[in-house]
Amino acid sequence: MSIQQQYRSRAKELLQDGSVKMVIGYGEGTTATRRRPIFITNPDDTDRLVLDAACKTNLAGYLLREGLLADQKSVAIFLSPSGVRTINILASESQLSSAQVVVLGFQIQGDTVKALEGTKASDFSPLIAKRKEKRKAQPSHEMTRKLEQMTPAERFAFWEGEFSRCIKCYACRAACPMCWCRRCVVDNNQPQWVNTSSHTLGNLEWNLVRAFHLAGRCVECGNCSEACPVNIPLHLLNRRMTEEVLTAFDHYPGADEHQEPVLASFRKDDPETFIL
Amino acid sequence: MSEPFEPKIVAFVCTYCTYAGADLAGTSRLKYPPNVRIVRLPCTGRISPMFILKAFQKGADGVLVSGCHPGDCHFDHGNYHARRRWTAFNALLHFTGVPEERVKFSWISAAEGIKFAELIDSITEEIRQAGPFEQYHKLIAETGSVASV
Ligand code: SF4
Ligand code: SF4
Repeated sequence: MSIQQQYRSRAKELLQDGSVKMVIGYGEGTTATRRRPIFITNPDDTDRLVLDAACKTNLAGYLLREGLLADQKSVAIFLSPSGVRTINILASESQLSSAQVVVLGFQIQGDTVKALEGTKASDFSPLIAKRKEKRKAQPSHEMTRKLEQMTPAERFAFWEGEFSRCIKCYACRAACPMCWCRRCVVDNNQPQWVNTSSHTLGNLEWNLVRAFHLAGRCVECGNCSEACPVNIPLHLLNRRMTEEVLTAFDHYPGADEHQEPVLASFRKDDPETFIL
Repeated sequence: MSEPFEPKIVAFVCTYCTYAGADLAGTSRLKYPPNVRIVRLPCTGRISPMFILKAFQKGADGVLVSGCHPGDCHFDHGNYHARRRWTAFNALLHFTGVPEERVKFSWISAAEGIKFAELIDSITEEIRQAGPFEQYHKLIAETGSVASV
């Protein structure tokens, strides 16, 4: 049985026996390589589910749709390991209860999909712990290394060029499952922290704030970079922050649901190399 | 002849330590450059990175963020939280090319009037050497605003 078939039947069973009220998964998209999120409540519709190497979007954010989990019923959702980490973060930030989430875990490796054992987010903790070690050993992005070698003025010019293209559509924010604030700091107008005009200044401020607010929370799922209509390399900023919290605080976001948010906790012996 | 460049520096300080340190510098009649505008806050834990961006948005050439030494916080651990935030934000500023001399962080206690005066002296001199923060000022000018710190 293909993995897709296997997951379709699992989804069907879950809906049939009433253990979940909805399955959130992937369906056919507008082109052969695109997938779109689908929300299934009828067991007969589960054959619309698709699971293949094109299923890259992190779907976890849909769980936060207003009222979806308010009735205490469970929802099953297709999640890659970064999706499971998202559930852990959202649970640790009290945005959902992981007990209501049935995980249909999978992992994409090249152009194949592998099934992952487990149904609760906590079942994946050993796997996530391994990924933390892998992430620690992973070298920085090639472009990051290039940037680090530039002078500050050159780096500033590079980002100025990138941010000048930002149209403040906030698609990056809408696509990020961790951007759950009802009122984002950029929407604040009293005081107006971020310049709202379509100039580079506000774009720079917005992108700094976005990256900072995701420091220690981003799971590097790629939703934001994928959503950006002008291809700003948001992943470079996210990855830089990930590496910072990993080296400075040994923090790998979403390790489990009891993990303390890195910027809402501290250790007395945290490193400080730059404070005068 | 053009006048020598005098940088505008904004200092965000906590009231219990660094502000008291600045006060001590004043009452001890220590001389330090008048380039710094001090903004007093209850605790370093209250100093959001947004403040730093706001200062630059308004045309500052440099920013100083300062509070109680670790272990000295009036609220026990506000500065430990602040330190984590600064670590991430500082790395981000570095990565996006904000020069290191433009944003400084320090611990200055209520007893360290001399440290305060000397620090203001050295960062003012450093920024004076570096000149105005032209790269940022250019972005401000594009919006049609003028630097107003
Ligand atoms: S910031 Fe981007 S990569 Fe990180 S969790 Fe959000 S959408 Fe995913
Ligand atoms: S998605 Fe891209 S263009 Fe839109 S606000 Fe985010 S960075 Fe700017």
